[in-house]
This record gives sequence, structure tokens and C-alpha cells, in this order.
Amino acid sequence: MRRPTTLTFRLTVMFTLVSAAVLLGLGVLVAMATNKHFAELDRSYLEDKLQLLERIVGESVGSDDLARRLHAVQNSHQGLFLRLERDGAPIFKSAVVDFPAELGSDLEQSQVSEWQTGPLSLRGMGREMEVRNPLLGPAFEGRRLRIDVAVDTGIHAHFMTELRLQLLLYLVLAMIVSAHLGWWVVRSGLAPLRIMKNRAKDVSAHKLDQRMPIEAVPVELADLAHSLNAMLDRLQADFQRLMEFSSDLAHELRTPISNLLTQTQVSLAHPRQVEMYREILASNAEEFQRLARMISDMLYLAKTENDIELPHPEKVDLGQEVRALFDFYDALADEKQLRLNLSGAASVWGDKLMVRRAIGNLLSNAIRHAQPGTDVTVAVDERDGEKRVCVSNLGPTIDAAHIPRLFDRFYRVDKSRMHSEAEGTGLGLAITRAIMLAHRGAVSVTSGHGKTEFCLVFPREAAAQG
Amino acid sequence: MKILVVEDEHKTGDYLKQGLSEAGFVVDLARDGQEGLQLALSEHYDLAILDVMLPGCTGWEILERLRAKGETLPVLFLTARDQVEDRVRGLELGADDYLVKPFSFAELLARVRTILRRGRPSQDNSALQYADLELDLLRRRVSRAGKRIDLTAKEFGLLELLMRRQGEVLPRTLIASQVWDMNFDSDTNVIDVAVRRLRSKVDEGFAVRLIQTVRGMGYVLEEAQED
Repeated sequence: MRRPTTLTFRLTVMFTLVSAAVLLGLGVLVAMATNKHFAELDRSYLEDKLQLLERIVGESVGSDDLARRLHAVQNSHQGLFLRLERDGAPIFKSAVVDFPAELGSDLEQSQVSEWQTGPLSLRGMGREMEVRNPLLGPAFEGRRLRIDVAVDTGIHAHFMTELRLQLLLYLVLAMIVSAHLGWWVVRSGLAPLRIMKNRAKDVSAHKLDQRMPIEAVPVELADLAHSLNAMLDRLQADFQRLMEFSSDLAHELRTPISNLLTQTQVSLAHPRQVEMYREILASNAEEFQRLARMISDMLYLAKTENDIELPHPEKVDLGQEVRALFDFYDALADEKQLRLNLSGAASVWGDKLMVRRAIGNLLSNAIRHAQPGTDVTVAVDERDGEKRVCVSNLGPTIDAAHIPRLFDRFYRVDKSRMHSEAEGTGLGLAITRAIMLAHRGAVSVTSGHGKTEFCLVFPREAAAQG
Repeated sequence: MKILVVEDEHKTGDYLKQGLSEAGFVVDLARDGQEGLQLALSEHYDLAILDVMLPGCTGWEILERLRAKGETLPVLFLTARDQVEDRVRGLELGADDYLVKPFSFAELLARVRTILRRGRPSQDNSALQYADLELDLLRRRVSRAGKRIDLTAKEFGLLELLMRRQGEVLPRTLIASQVWDMNFDSDTNVIDVAVRRLRSKVDEGFAVRLIQTVRGMGYVLEEAQED
């Protein structure tokens, strides 16, 4: 399997390649400029020499004098080569060098040509003139004279080779240096990532409280750190819930199961009357039903907490739901001489079964804890687009210490009533809260001066969907 | 009435078979999906009770193949998975009902009878009678031994349910669902209270009690047996 390269390696390579490209470009530019400069130098040198030769031709007294002076020029200028032709016939020519025939045919442009002769690299130009010097005699006077000059560029070429070599050497050196520099820069640039990595390494199921350092990382990474922290928050909360859930579950199941086991084993220990067995089995069945209900409540709770979407969203008339529930709890309320009152009306967008269950849980709680002979009131209203269902009863005040944990699963205010006949599974309010969260709403409670009120709050947007 | 039970969990299968047999049904029990499918295709049944998770082939597959062959046999699913999509899937395939484990046997029995009753013409639309108890459905009047009994609307509904299904033990959840349309387990004894109030009106002052409590299961309309 091909291992993915590290970010440090990739960034270093990119950094090195970019600096190499820039340096290479610069080197090529320098070499080209130098070369061009040399060509310019050679051209002006050659033009200078052509003018010198023209002057010599114009000023020489006699052909011997001309030849002598040409020799003097030849000898005093190292690397300069001359050729003079009169009507196509050479009258003076430096040794060693061959001039191409077409050299400098265009006078006006004074073009520079380049060519090779043996080991020499040459640059040259030529010019034609009409001799206006009577002192040179009739052999020259009025005749056309062609002058060619050439210069050896070997020195320049040598210099250029040296220059290129040095540039190349510099380039290689610079690449090595920039690779190291780049590695160092990348490493220190990525240091915050390493910090985050080390933090992430520390996170485990038992140490979910580790968080990414937001202040210590650059702005670009702060967003990532924020997201990671939010993820960790959610994980921690979920994990915490899961742990509590399993421990609560074990705790809640332990007592009834050990009761069932003990009762069954004691019954089996001695032969008994048939009636007795029936009694035991019936009692067991009731206990098992409670366990089964607890399990289905827990499953319902888990499903409600995990499902993102409502199963069957529709428009739910809150007043109608409350009246249906009043019908259901009528016998129960009547037995405690409670009056059930409803005021107000509103509709919400939600799952009918879930909404009914949420209100039903509050109502059954209110009936259970209401003082006999009082009123249980359900008030439905709409305030600033928020729909509220408030269920209130008169009865014992809930101690403020219990309020924050009231909606926790299996939380009971009165621990001693844990398994009394009329008591529920301890999941009712947790289910109500889960249902409200699924509706993006909330449930709240106030209790004081003998009055307890639970309110379901459906948010504006849920209402707006309807 | 012949019922096919396909359930791989040994104890559950045995108890379902025993319970349904004792309730008066003829029961065949298959322990895996293949066997169940073969039985369903070769024999005639009035109802199939299928566990979803089965070795061989799942309850869904059995139902799919049955429906593919044009078999209209009613199907009740038992599922340990309380998942909405499971329910939807089951009902889309043409299941008639489902029960989520753990369920009570009384509940299963009541559901089985509900399914088997479907399609049959309902007994009588104007009056119901049991022993000396009479229910006039049109005028919504109740009388026992010719004596008028005043009931609230919901009490009337409760009594009607008990009378329509006389002799059957009705679990509390079924009563809540059928009479009040409350399809959740109430964590109160509201059904007990409602039945107690109904009983005080129907049975009080009469020698024979008609509404019986079956401990651990539910309520049944039946003449009290002499102990």
C-alpha cells in the first residue's frame, strides 16, 4: 500500500520547487542579458574598427604606407582580423581566418555575422567604400574598396561558460538551502496542528474532557478547533448519557428481578396449594408487565432522542388533544374529586401521538400529585408565536433541589415510593422532554406556594411550518 | 382456526404454541424461516405469526414470498426492533399488525382475535347481549335484568368493547387504545379505575358478577365461575 506523504514533506518539496523555478528563471535572464551585452560590445568595437580602417584608407600616403598601417592595426589589436578587397581581389588579409563571402553585404544595417573558423568563434561585419584619396595613386583612387573586420569571441564564450556554471552551482546550492529552510518554515508553521494532534491523542473514553486549544492556534485553524471541540462536547454528553443510562438500567432492573427471583425460589422450595401458585404467578405477571413497560418506555425514549425527524408531522389541535386526555383520565380525576379545566386554544405542527403522550404524562403527574378536591388546569396559549401548554395542580411543592434533575430518567423525588403500584417507570418526564426536544421545543417547571406548573413550549418555527 | 407460528426462540415458540392452543386455536410451530415458508405455502392457515429475525430467511422474506404467490394469509409480526422503518416496511409489505417485544401474551391474544375477526360481518349493529345484560347500540342504552343503567359515553364504549369480545381477556393497553384511542402505555391505573366504576354500576346489586379481573392479564366479560 502506498503511504500518503506527510504534509510537511509535500509543502517542503513545493517550496523548494518554487524557489528553484524562480532562481532558474533569474539565471537564464542574467545569462541572456550578459550575452546580449557582449554582442553590443562587439558590434561597437567592430564599427569602431571599421571607421578606423576607413580613416586609414583616407589618410594613407601610398600603398606601402597603407600596408604598413594595416599591419600596425593588425598587430596592436589582439584577436582582431582584417580583410581588404579591391574589386573582389584581396589586397590585405589576416592569416588563419576565412571570411564568409556574403559577410556584411548590407551596408546600411551594418549587420553582425557570426561564424566558426577552425577553433575560433568569430563575429564580424563589413563595409564597402569608394576610395577618395589621390595619394594612394590610380590603383586605388575612385575604385571600390571592401573592408571586413572580425573579432574572436572566444573570451566571451569562455566567460559565459563560467557564468553558466556558477549560476547552476548557485542554483543547486540555493535549492538545498531552500529545502532546509522550507522544511523548517513548514514545521514551525504547522506547529499548531501538532499541538492539536497531541491533544487529540489524549482523548479517550475515560478522558473526554480534553479540548483543542483555540487561543493557541491561528485563525484558520480556530474554526476547525471549534468544530472539533463541539464534536467532543457532543460525544462527551452522549457518552455520559450512555454510561448513566446503562447504570440506571442495571439499577432499575436489579430490584424487581431480584424480587421475582427470590419469590419464585421461595415458592419452589416447598409444595404449596394451587391457589398459592396462582397468586404467585399473577404477582409475577404484574411485575413482569412493569418491567416490559419500562423496557418499551426506554426504547421509546432512545428512539425519540435519536430520531432527527418527526415520524408523522401534521397539524395538531392542542385543545382537542387535551379534551381527549381529559376523557381518558376522567375516572382517575373523579376518584380524587379533581376538576379538570381547559382554557385557550392553539394548534402546533407536530406528531400527534407524541404531543398527546407529552401532555398525557404531565396530566397524569398532575392528577397523581394534586390535592383531592382541587382543580387541575390546562392552559393553552400563544405568545409571540410560541405555543404553550401549561398543566398546573395544587399540591405539595417540589423542592428546588429536585427541579434541575426532574427530567432525568429514573429520577424520583420521593425515593421511598419507587415501586408503588400507581407510580410509573420513572421515565414519564424524560420522555416528555425528549418529545419536546424532538419538536425543537422545551419543557419547564415552576413550583411554589403549593402550586406546581409544567409547561410545554413549542417554538415559533414549528408553528410556522403549519 | 389454524395459526402458523414461526419463532426460532425455543421457549417463546413453545409458550406461544401452548397459549394459543389453550385459547382454542390449532397451532403449527416452525423453528426457522424455510420451514415456516414451506408450511405456509403447503397448508391452509387463518393467520401467521412471524418473528422478524429468523434463521434461514427473515420474517420479511417469508411475507414477501407469500404475497408474491398471491397468498393473502393475514400476518402478525413479532419484532424486537422498535424501529419506525421496520413497522412501515412490515405494513407496506402487507402485514396486518405487529407487536414489539417484550409483549404480553394477553395483548397478543387480543390482537390475534382482532385480526381473525376482520372480514367477518360484525355480529349485530343494533344490540348486544350477554347473560341478563343488554346493550342497545342505537339508543345507547344499557339495562340489566330489565333495569336501566346510566353510563357515561366512555363507560358505554368500554362496556361495548367488553361485550363484543365477551369471554376474551382484554389487556389494559388494548382497552385504552380501543376505547380512548390512547396508543401509549399510561403509567397510571386509569383503566383499573374506569373498570371499577363501570363494575360498580353494572355488577353492584346483582348476584352474578359479569366483569372479571384476570390478575396479571386484564379484564374479561364473563359470568363468575363458582369456586
